[in-house]
Amino acid sequence: MNTVTKTSAARAVDASKIYGSGDAEVRALDSINVEFASGMFTAIMGPSGSGKSTLLHVLAGLDTVTSGEVFIGDIELSTLKDKDLTLVRRDRLGFVFQSFNLIPTLNALENMTLPLSLGGRKADSAWQDEVVKAVGLGDRLGHRPNELSGGQQQRVAVARALLSKPEIVFADEPTGNLDSRSSSEVLSFMRAAVDNFGQTIVMVTHDAGAAAYADRVVFLADGSIEAELMNPTSATVLDRMKQLGG
Amino acid sequence: MWRVTLKGLLGHKLRFMLTGLAVLLGVAFMAGTLVLTDTIQVIFDDLVASVNDGTDAFVRSNEVVDSAFGEERNRVSADLLPQVRAVQGVAQAEGDLQFYAQVVDAKGEAIGNPGRGAPSFGFIWNPGRLNAYRLVAGNSPSAAGEVVIDRGTAKKGNLRVGSRVKVLSQSAPEDFKVAGIVTFGEADSPAGASVSLFTSEEAQRLSGAVGQYDGISISAVDGVSQEQMVRRIDAALSDPKVEVITGATLTKENQDQFTQQLSFFSTALLAFALISLFVGSFIIFNTFSIIVAQRTREIGLMRAIGASRSQIVKSVIAEAALVGILASAVGLGIGILLAAGLKALLAGLGIDIPAGATQVLPRTIILCLGVGTFVTIAASVLPSRKASRISPMQALRSTGSDPMKQLGRRSTIGVVITAVGIGSLLYGLFGNVGNPTLFVGIGALVVFLGVAALGPVIARPVSRLLAAPLPKLKGMVGVLARENAVRNPRRTASTAAALMIGVALVGFITIFAASIKNSIATAVDSAFTADFVVAAKGGGPPSLSGFSPDLAQKIKEVPGVGASSGLRFAGAELQGKGVFVIASDPATSTQLFDVKPESGDFKQLGINDVAVSSDRMKKEGWVLGQRISAKFPKGASTLKITAVFGMGQQAGLSDYFISLAGYDAHYTQQLDSQVYAKVADDANPRVVGRDIKKILKEYPTAELLDQEQFKATRSGQVDQILNLIYALLALAVVIALIGIANTLGLSIVERTNELGLLRAVGMTRRQLRSAIRWESVIIALLGTALGLVIAVFFGWALVTALRDQGLAGFVAPVDRLAVIVVLAGLAGVIAAILPARRAARLNVLDAISQE
Ligand SMILES: Nc1ncnc2c1ncn2[C@@H]1O[C@H](COP(=O)(O)OP(=O)(O)O)[C@@H](O)[C@H]1O
Ligand SMILES: [Mg+2]
Repeated sequence: MNTVTKTSAARAVDASKIYGSGDAEVRALDSINVEFASGMFTAIMGPSGSGKSTLLHVLAGLDTVTSGEVFIGDIELSTLKDKDLTLVRRDRLGFVFQSFNLIPTLNALENMTLPLSLGGRKADSAWQDEVVKAVGLGDRLGHRPNELSGGQQQRVAVARALLSKPEIVFADEPTGNLDSRSSSEVLSFMRAAVDNFGQTIVMVTHDAGAAAYADRVVFLADGSIEAELMNPTSATVLDRMKQLGG
Repeated sequence: MWRVTLKGLLGHKLRFMLTGLAVLLGVAFMAGTLVLTDTIQVIFDDLVASVNDGTDAFVRSNEVVDSAFGEERNRVSADLLPQVRAVQGVAQAEGDLQFYAQVVDAKGEAIGNPGRGAPSFGFIWNPGRLNAYRLVAGNSPSAAGEVVIDRGTAKKGNLRVGSRVKVLSQSAPEDFKVAGIVTFGEADSPAGASVSLFTSEEAQRLSGAVGQYDGISISAVDGVSQEQMVRRIDAALSDPKVEVITGATLTKENQDQFTQQLSFFSTALLAFALISLFVGSFIIFNTFSIIVAQRTREIGLMRAIGASRSQIVKSVIAEAALVGILASAVGLGIGILLAAGLKALLAGLGIDIPAGATQVLPRTIILCLGVGTFVTIAASVLPSRKASRISPMQALRSTGSDPMKQLGRRSTIGVVITAVGIGSLLYGLFGNVGNPTLFVGIGALVVFLGVAALGPVIARPVSRLLAAPLPKLKGMVGVLARENAVRNPRRTASTAAALMIGVALVGFITIFAASIKNSIATAVDSAFTADFVVAAKGGGPPSLSGFSPDLAQKIKEVPGVGASSGLRFAGAELQGKGVFVIASDPATSTQLFDVKPESGDFKQLGINDVAVSSDRMKKEGWVLGQRISAKFPKGASTLKITAVFGMGQQAGLSDYFISLAGYDAHYTQQLDSQVYAKVADDANPRVVGRDIKKILKEYPTAELLDQEQFKATRSGQVDQILNLIYALLALAVVIALIGIANTLGLSIVERTNELGLLRAVGMTRRQLRSAIRWESVIIALLGTALGLVIAVFFGWALVTALRDQGLAGFVAPVDRLAVIVVLAGLAGVIAAILPARRAARLNVLDAISQE
């Protein structure tokens, strides 16, 4: 369906997710097929309830599909036990949620290195310096989350996701709770990670402006892919949204 | 408002079950104690009543000494018996004797459990209404050499009518033929005691009471009341040293004596029940505080829609009251079952309590429900006030953890309370007050409250210190455990405080016992110059048993024994004060005990002489040669201070020594508590020891100990009591653990999002469990650290206060205290099992998407 030039970092094959049964049955994902190329920044858009979060969760090993397959690199997630799934999340994936991304008892730096230290590892220090510099917290690294602004908190969360050099970073509406200035800080930071470090990012958003930071936009409706757009700008995204909505 | 309360309860069943459990256990303990002691009381009252059933009047001596060994009364002359029988209206009158008599079976073993179980008594076999026993086999004793035994003893010793048995008494061991077997009503024996019955002459001979009785029991003819009977006998007797009482009075006196002993036992148990409830109150306080914090939004919303402050207070208190009443009721029920179980347990230990209906008095029900409910409500007062201060605005904000405010004020209050507690405790111990227990008890309680009030201030630094090695050991898991333990110091502190109390008491009693054992060892080392001591196996109570002086005589005759003496412990009144007296052979005392004679001559101690320690001389202001007044069971006399010695009570001996001849003259029963022997210089101690052991074959209740063994058995006795107290304190510790589990459970609910996030970014279930486990260990160790500090202080204070009563000095047993720390850590691990499992089971997705 798509022409993917680079190798795929994650993909879903005929993946369905069904909640409930009978009359109450909800097909959050409906035999979806999608691939995310390495080194690319992909935005997922779609109306509320279209299955964006569900897609992200099954791709990230936080939830399981009802049928079909989900791959991270070559690993098929449904075959993994909780322990191995956890290790995949810790060592190969990064996460940024809409809110509540940080552990309140740990300071910014500890939060950034959390997945690494859970694995008993240390970030390579050149890379850490680079990420820390990019996150732009300056002397606030020793501060706890409640002493940081929302934008700062989300940047720390992105930094955490990047620091373990994961194969792919998933972000679910990372700027959903931020004002426009903070949003653009976070988005620029993510963009820079893709441009400068070849990071793969998949981001759910409902904001055309945010989607414009991506290389590719996938539009979801009723649990399947309805359209997609390469090299989007705010205008093209809004345009496409209008078409789909109408 | 009530609907809200009920909904609150139903909505959090598990939480309230755990809270209720803290009350329930304490109440069950309390109910169990009350029901058990009431039941035993009624059974014993019935027993005494049926023993005295046929007795309408009783004649006895009015010379009596009441000491720590119980009441000892003089005997009366047998000449009174014909005089009493001649009184009009007397249907029957018989002499009574009660004395030490222990039946030994064919294998040479003492029947029953001497030294631990119920006692063994000898009595005169009386005919007719004055006999409480029923023959079920054989005949009554009718001649010298015949004994009738109870069926319990017969069963245990496999004895039948016609069997030959040996009987130990105050005279030398003798052979008897079992003439008959009796029951006590339906029971095999009265409350498990061993009973042997003899003819009047035999009983008098065996108890050294020839021509004497303990008293005379009288049964009146029909139509003569007890009072009339007493008046008539009183008029007929002229001896001023004799008194006559009604059968009812006798029964009442016996019952009251028992009640007194029992109340000592029940008071001790109740004290431990109250400790458990006190610990439980911390759990309740903590749970309600956490719940109020978690419900901030809900309460704020209720305030916003018009609930008044007092309505909020009432709703929290109502919740507490409901929990309290429910838990107390269930606790009461469990306590009643527990009492039945304890009775069975006692029976298993050889203390047979005859069958009797379980006594659940209204007092028990009211007290248990009342105390349980009161404790729960009292513990919820502060949290309810806190709830009422939540403003409607807070409904709009998110549940923030409450920051530490007013730390300075809290420190001041905590320090002041602690100081007041310490002051009261020290005043009670050192201030020479009338009721030291009260000041010490209240002082200890206030110290606990004071340290608990200081808790939030010290929790953070101390926990950080305790957790310092964790990040190195466990990496990020350790960091998270430490941070979670200190993130809410108030909560951590009050959780730890519950354990602190348990550990403080366990540690204190451990230190105290070690100090006692140390001073026993010091005393034995310094005062024990004999080579051997013969003592009762299991260290039985000296007032109920002992050895015939025949044993000391036989030991004295063993070749190679240089010096020896029987030793007797007794109570007496000197100059109007109840004291503890030791009697020994003055000729050998200074060779067997290093009493450090100072002036006068120990060897000169006669019937009316006493040796007094120099400490005591100074305290009383006495001088050598002075005469002091004395009261003994056999009557009043005057004693001359003939010798002064250095090592008295502080060496584990007594401040007063009298001679065995003096004991003979002043006391009725003649039994040695111990026999000491020193080997002659030219003899081989091993051979002498072996020869003494041969003699002991005839004395199965005795054992031969050298100095080290003697020390070990005395320490063993201390350890036994220590273990008993550990067992009683265990409940308080268990409740504290429930508290830790409860707090962790509630905290985990609060941290659902956070835990989900940790799992999402790669924390394994095992790591999550480990973090919670270590958090629990930190809390447990915090409680333990605070508890041990208090324990050392309590121990030091008590040991110092008791120094002149024979305690050598303060000893902190580092090994045992280390064991306490390790056990507390393990307890923390156990408390974390359920909360950790619950946390690990959290669905990651639910957790992170929960707002
Ligand atoms: N745990 C769940 N149980 C039942 N239905 C769910 C659950 N999670 C999501 N859904 C449903 O699945 C559909 C897709 O949800 P979601 O992926 O969250 O949409 P989006 O993120 O695009 O708004 C919605 O109809 C939603 O109601
Ligand atoms: Mg969504």
